[in-house]
Amino acid sequence: MDIKAYIESGVIESYVLGMADAQEAAELLQLSAQYPEIKQAVSAFEASLEKSALANAIAPPAFVKEKIFSALQEEFAAKKTTATVIDMPSASTNWLRYIAVASVILLIGSSVLNVYYFNKFNEVNNKYASLLNDKNSLEASINIYKTKTLDIYNSMQLMSDPMMIKVSMPGVKGKEENLATVFWDKKTKDVYLLANKLPQTTEDKQYQLWAIVDGKPVDAGLLNDCNGLCRLKNIPNAQMFAITLEKKGGSASPTMEQMFVAGAVSTS
Amino acid sequence: MEAVTKYSETELVLLLKQRQQSAFSYLYDNYSGALHAVILNIILDTELASDVLQDVFVKIWRQINSYDDTKGRLYTWMLNIARNASIDTIRSKNFQNNKQNRELTENVYESAGSTQLMTDKIGLRKLVHQLKEEHKVLIELSYFQGFTQDEISKMLNLPLGTVKTRLRTALIQLR
Repeated sequence: MDIKAYIESGVIESYVLGMADAQEAAELLQLSAQYPEIKQAVSAFEASLEKSALANAIAPPAFVKEKIFSALQEEFAAKKTTATVIDMPSASTNWLRYIAVASVILLIGSSVLNVYYFNKFNEVNNKYASLLNDKNSLEASINIYKTKTLDIYNSMQLMSDPMMIKVSMPGVKGKEENLATVFWDKKTKDVYLLANKLPQTTEDKQYQLWAIVDGKPVDAGLLNDCNGLCRLKNIPNAQMFAITLEKKGGSASPTMEQMFVAGAVSTS
Repeated sequence: MEAVTKYSETELVLLLKQRQQSAFSYLYDNYSGALHAVILNIILDTELASDVLQDVFVKIWRQINSYDDTKGRLYTWMLNIARNASIDTIRSKNFQNNKQNRELTENVYESAGSTQLMTDKIGLRKLVHQLKEEHKVLIELSYFQGFTQDEISKMLNLPLGTVKTRLRTALIQLR
């Protein structure tokens, strides 16, 4: 092939200037790999093109470079320039300002919530305290009932004891609606009293049980608040029992006009 | 410009691939004028040409890894980026102004004639104007307007072989 003619044909210029079509370009690449003269001619034209372009250069306005470099600022490899160092704080100061504003807003919000939650806490705490109180008093009354129940259970046990003598004391004349019962242990001689029905006493008064021994009244004990049976004194011997209303703490001898109930011990 | 540092082309390309700002700055200082002239050969509006130059350098920076030194000089590669970017700009502008390809084709002759005086002083155009009319049109359409030889053949109603021969002859004269 005529290499000289090929070089002189203008196809190299057409290729270098990007005007050659795909077929021409492929042909030229293949031939330049094959013939050093063609490769050299391509290089020579490229070099002369560059030389002439540099000779005919028209300097662009200065701002173009600035625009390009600021647009690509992020893409340059990291290097220690003061420009970068100066740039950073101003950006971070802005950030700090935003963070400070956000912090103040959060603080105010938090304070408002603090007050709200403190009030809420107090309210709930008060409710809790009153509930705890309710619970304690409920527990106390449960204990009271438990004790009462236990006392009554024990009373039932005593009443049903075969050794127990029951002395029923109905109301005396004029006080017939009243009733009390003495349970007397034959073995231990302990006296228990069940106040079935007696009027409510006043603060300064108290019921007193008397054992009538050989016609004489003997103090058998004072009636206190108790559940079911009240255990009174130990009475070894008696034919009768009676209850009078006396001053608080009891009397040495019964006030006869204040007798409420009385009953004889069954001899059988 | 007499820079303190002077890079060989191989060094320059290597440093550009390493994303070195100093190398890019050197590249800009040495080639922006040449590429600006190339762009001004195609785009007559200086403001638009500045915009295109900016795009061209961004493209060079971002596409430097696709540059293959076995296929040609760095300047040749950059020249083609500049030329293609300019042609793309002209085409999108012309397309906005004239929706029909026919008008675009007619514009080719108009702009080639009407800008004669203004562009006479600029690089390649200066040389092109010394060519015979039949050659001038081909360079205008091919180099300055970016039409393929096949497109030019259809446009001018000439056989493809004739377009090729005339284009090559025209280029020889520009040497």
